[in-house]
Amino acid sequence: MNRLERVLLPLFVAALIIAVWSVWASGGSGGATDFPTPLEVWRGYGHLLRPAHGEHGPLILKHIVSSVFRTSFGFLAAVGLGIPFGLYLGWSARAHASLDWLVQMLRPISPIAWIPIAIMIFRGDDLRSIFLIFVAAFLPIVISTSAAVHSVPSMYLRAASNFGLSDFQILQRVVFPASLPQIVLALRVAAGISWIVIVAAEMVAVQDGLGWLITDARYQGARTDLVVGTMIVIGLLGWGIDSLLRRLERHPRVSWGYPRNG
Amino acid sequence: MASARIEVRGVAKSFRQRGGRSLEVLRDIDFTIEAGEFVCLLGPSGCGKSTLLSIIGGFEKADKGTITVDGAPLSGPDPRRVFVFQEYGIFPWMSVSENVGFGLGALGAEERSRRVAHWIGAVGLGGFENALPAELSGGMRQRVALARSLAVEPEALYMDEPLGALDSLTRQQMRTEISALCRRSKPTVLFVTHDIDEALLLADRIIVMSVRPAHIIEIVPVAITHPRRFGEADYVAIKRHLYRLLGLRDEV
Amino acid sequence: MKWKLLGAVVGGALALYALHITTSTGWGPWVEDVKRTFGGGAREQMIVGFLPVTCHLTCPVVDWTTRHSDSGSLFQSKKYSEFPTMCEDLTEGKLGAAFLNAPLAISLVSKNVNVKLVSLGHRDGSAIVVPAKSEAKEFKDLVGKKILIPSKFSNQQLWMARLCKQNGLKLTDFETIVCPPPDMPAMLETGKCAAYVVGEPFCALAELAGTGRVLLQVKDSWPGFISCGLVVRQDRIDQDRELIQELVDGIHGSGLWLEQGLENRASAAEVVGKYYYNQDPKLLQFVLSKPVDRVRYDHLTPLKPDFEEIMGLAVEIGMFPKVLEFESFTDASFSLSASKLPKAMPPDDGKGPETAKAAK
Repeated sequence: MNRLERVLLPLFVAALIIAVWSVWASGGSGGATDFPTPLEVWRGYGHLLRPAHGEHGPLILKHIVSSVFRTSFGFLAAVGLGIPFGLYLGWSARAHASLDWLVQMLRPISPIAWIPIAIMIFRGDDLRSIFLIFVAAFLPIVISTSAAVHSVPSMYLRAASNFGLSDFQILQRVVFPASLPQIVLALRVAAGISWIVIVAAEMVAVQDGLGWLITDARYQGARTDLVVGTMIVIGLLGWGIDSLLRRLERHPRVSWGYPRNG
Repeated sequence: MASARIEVRGVAKSFRQRGGRSLEVLRDIDFTIEAGEFVCLLGPSGCGKSTLLSIIGGFEKADKGTITVDGAPLSGPDPRRVFVFQEYGIFPWMSVSENVGFGLGALGAEERSRRVAHWIGAVGLGGFENALPAELSGGMRQRVALARSLAVEPEALYMDEPLGALDSLTRQQMRTEISALCRRSKPTVLFVTHDIDEALLLADRIIVMSVRPAHIIEIVPVAITHPRRFGEADYVAIKRHLYRLLGLRDEV
Repeated sequence: MKWKLLGAVVGGALALYALHITTSTGWGPWVEDVKRTFGGGAREQMIVGFLPVTCHLTCPVVDWTTRHSDSGSLFQSKKYSEFPTMCEDLTEGKLGAAFLNAPLAISLVSKNVNVKLVSLGHRDGSAIVVPAKSEAKEFKDLVGKKILIPSKFSNQQLWMARLCKQNGLKLTDFETIVCPPPDMPAMLETGKCAAYVVGEPFCALAELAGTGRVLLQVKDSWPGFISCGLVVRQDRIDQDRELIQELVDGIHGSGLWLEQGLENRASAAEVVGKYYYNQDPKLLQFVLSKPVDRVRYDHLTPLKPDFEEIMGLAVEIGMFPKVLEFESFTDASFSLSASKLPKAMPPDDGKGPETAKAAK
């Protein structure tokens, strides 16, 4: 597959989707219920990209920044606390025995269920969403890190203790680097979850952001064109975030852990 | 380099199996290894040699008996007595230099880089300092493992079938290198193998072990001077003796 | 190498936070927020929650008015997209007051949340809407059909109960389904319901789109219909009665001003639609003018007889297990002593509420 194909094939699929979409959406009788046509969504961007009344800059920019800001902070907090906690949980048999049941019980609880609690504990809008993102990303990171630690070959641990390293040194110089490929994979998954959760969280607990934009479009009179336009933006941003994290996987300290192609 | 003297007295070990039965693995193991000796543990696979080495290395405890190193009782793994694992025991995220320097954390930066450079050269991997293990062949990786262990200039080297994952051509080459390196630095070496030729080519003495429950059949001295050759009379004579001890036929 | 990575991450995070402040609230309010955390701001202020519905119009109007005046307290309006979050914020104390519909306010009190209804927000302003092509002529024609209501705790359901009584029907003769108001016009259009009962502007939306027509306005059926009112936390009342009085004065005054004439209503539609509700001002214009008494913003004092009727209906249909005393959920003192003078709202200056505040 040459470079030309690599560019043209996705473009072709995109064009096909827009064509089918136009035909399908035009078959309605008009009115609030019909799915917007691509043209209507395009026009909707005229509203989203212009400044709101009395403000500067494209309307959608401030919502993008809000959502990205909240997701980033929540995710970073989850990474900063989740990786060390996961390392500890995977390393210490006692920690595992005491806490693993709690982790496994909390994990299936959807972050959305935490919304009332977030509203109760935190007064600030931003803090609430950051907390929800933290909840969404923290446990998957902990679980994957702890699993990665368990799967570190015991040969590495033996070699390390043979050379006289202390437990902490072993964690730092052997266990953590050996787990890194699996951890980075988990980070990608957790980031994806976080991005999904922020949109849902913003539909309820806050006053701006991409999720809020979608809810507000309903109060404007079912502006589904704005809804679809915002959805496309959300998808593009999510794709961008994932691509960024994929680059992490190429770092030599991480890529060693993935099977090589070709 | 100083060398360790290892005394093993009356060591026995059993494992508890599923179903509650007890599996006796080692029975009444008794021998002494002098400082600087190269000793092979020879026996069929699965007979318990690795377990014995593990116990001597301080990673497992014997049920009975004592192990003394330089007169002191064994308390656990020690950086002065280093294992050489099979080639996948080196760390895949570290370069060759980083791997070889792994055990040298206590040294100053200058001494560390000197030793790393020296041992990379000694195992013939000059030029590959920044390569990652994924870029090396199996034989080269084994050499990294060897360099990593030798770099700390240990008093004893414990090798558990280190050449097992290599093809026979590389294996032969590695045997020559290991032999040369060990004769130069003279650590005490305990080398586990199931390959009779390997034992004969390398060891000063061969401890022949039986099938499970393993006990010592005989300790065979190999008084042939290096370089040792396959076909020579003294070599063949000891080899026939080993076959007999192991209850094998030397013809097919 | 590790420290560089850490530094880059921390620096990036701080830059992102700064960008967020710049684009969302602006640095002015952020600085004020910080100041307020470490020691009070200059003017008294209170945050009042509302939903972007016509019933709550006086809330943003008061916000606009107080922002554009040099003296007096600042009543900041805060927009929510649904009642539950607003109720929780009110319960937690993040809001001092909020516009809630009456049954919701009563249910909060029955759960021992210490709030009081101090004023009504409006009168009338609800309707039953049927599809434009529907043949239904009166309420009786909808028997046995699906009717959408905004929530179990809604006045619209009480209105239906009253209509049932008047026509010798029972509420169970209809299939009532709860539906979020913004989705109602769409449900009507796709034929998923025979009618819906809700407050403005969701009735006007269907009218303007040509997909629905009003079967019955509440002003023609239950005049003086009570829907939403201002609910204030008891601790704020105890803390500063004068502030609450000022707020209620503002609500009543703005309401009287809205009743003075169409130009006032047009001005309000412009400002509120553009800066607060994010709805087309023409939509609000329509609701506020065709007919002009579709929604009324006077007579905003809560009165016992009105609520006795409401409570009676509520208990009958099982909304509440028993009648709550009027005094237990209402403090009408503020409304009774509210100023009877209209309070004018400054016209649109093209600048928006945030910039108006920053200029202070």
